[in-house]
Amino acid sequence: MRVHVDVDKCTGHARCWSVAPEVYELDDLGYNVTPVKDVPSGLEELARKGALACPERAITIEE
Amino acid sequence: MEHSSGVPVVDFDVFASHTLADNDAAWKQLRGCPVAWTPHNGGHWVLSGYEVVAQAFRDWETFSSARTDPEVSSITISGARLPLLVPEELDPPEWHGYRRVLAAMLSPQAAERLRPRARYWSRRCIDAVIETGRCELVSELIFPVPASVTLEWLGFPESDWPGFSHAFHDAAAYPHGSPEYKAAARATVEVLRRVTEEVAARWDDDRGDGLSTITHAEIDGARISQEMAERLVFMTIGGGVDTTSALASAALLHLHRHPGDRARLLTEPDLWDSATEEFLRVYPPARTHARTVTRDVEFAGCPMKAGDRVLLSELAAGRDPEAFPSADEFVIDRFPNRHLAFGAGIHRCPGSHLARVTFRELLGEVLERIPDYRIVDADVVEYPNWSMIGGWARLPAEFTPGRRSEAGAGEEPRRDSEENEEER
Repeated sequence: MRVHVDVDKCTGHARCWSVAPEVYELDDLGYNVTPVKDVPSGLEELARKGALACPERAITIEE
Repeated sequence: MEHSSGVPVVDFDVFASHTLADNDAAWKQLRGCPVAWTPHNGGHWVLSGYEVVAQAFRDWETFSSARTDPEVSSITISGARLPLLVPEELDPPEWHGYRRVLAAMLSPQAAERLRPRARYWSRRCIDAVIETGRCELVSELIFPVPASVTLEWLGFPESDWPGFSHAFHDAAAYPHGSPEYKAAARATVEVLRRVTEEVAARWDDDRGDGLSTITHAEIDGARISQEMAERLVFMTIGGGVDTTSALASAALLHLHRHPGDRARLLTEPDLWDSATEEFLRVYPPARTHARTVTRDVEFAGCPMKAGDRVLLSELAAGRDPEAFPSADEFVIDRFPNRHLAFGAGIHRCPGSHLARVTFRELLGEVLERIPDYRIVDADVVEYPNWSMIGGWARLPAEFTPGRRSEAGAGEEPRRDSEENEEER
């Protein structure tokens, strides 16, 4: 599984990180600046929850 | 009623209701009509559906928060004359440099570093009342804690804190022209004077506090001007002192009236995160924000003209049944919960992370130490105006007396600046 973050849509709510800190990283300003990331095995459900939490709908999951 | 062009026209005056229940009901009447025009308050658009509110918040180029009159606030519908809010009332490119300063100071990581201070002030305020078995929650706990966290972090002396809190609250809560508003305007002048003094005192002297960070910030490669530093400080105080209080009041009243939710939070601490988001959805401290249309545009089928004013409701968006199942119910484990309490798009509240930290520490301390608190319903006093920022003026409470904490009020405040120094 991979997570795709539309970094132009990210405005720093940091809900992805709050729900799934093992999957999503923030920069020093609290924004997600990692456009594509492989999800470590076992963390798929957490990754899905983090994506669902985003108020900007900036995250999509590639199963 | 319909506009000549088929646009729904509603008889909606955001200042007409003077209680929370009436204001909630007024917004509920707009359901099924996500975009409408009202002739009240100079005539403006009203956005109440989740999707249209989110879309307008994100589209800053069409729905600008920049001022059209340099003296008049653009983000309220009241026509209030307020100092320019930086960066909220700037659009890109000017917005960017100032937003960066706040984003860095108030990032989720930075907010976590302030958690011990939020805990300290919560503990100290509860220590002051816990042996008596009664307190007035707003003035003794809810008001002082967020103000203390914010103003200590910035570096203002404690003598400034009460005056600052009242100035910001009253300016947001009363309509332009009312006696309360005029008193707040005078208090605001004093806040501005103090901000000017403290910024000037740090201009050549970095004291390692929040005021110094702002005063020594770089904006697009050049040092921030003294005037813009003052405005950024003013915005930070305004954002920090009254909004988290409104959320904490709402939550404590909710838990008093819904013992089932209180019992679950006491026994299932894993629910805190979802409960916090649900408090934000149901009781957003900022209930509305205004924008100005920058170009003629058709939005959700409505012909909007450049210069039209638009009122966006965070509250109504959160109660939209199209976006939230059982939208009128408080669901403590709701997920997902993409409420718009902090807005959306580039102007999203940069203090949201500190707000959540402060709220969690304050509520956690109350539930841990006075878990059986009971609010005296007959003596509850709401703010008289729910048009933009709502809240409560009085929440008298009784509880089983307890003991002061061992490391409570006697503990010396540890300044955030020391922690920041360690980080660097």
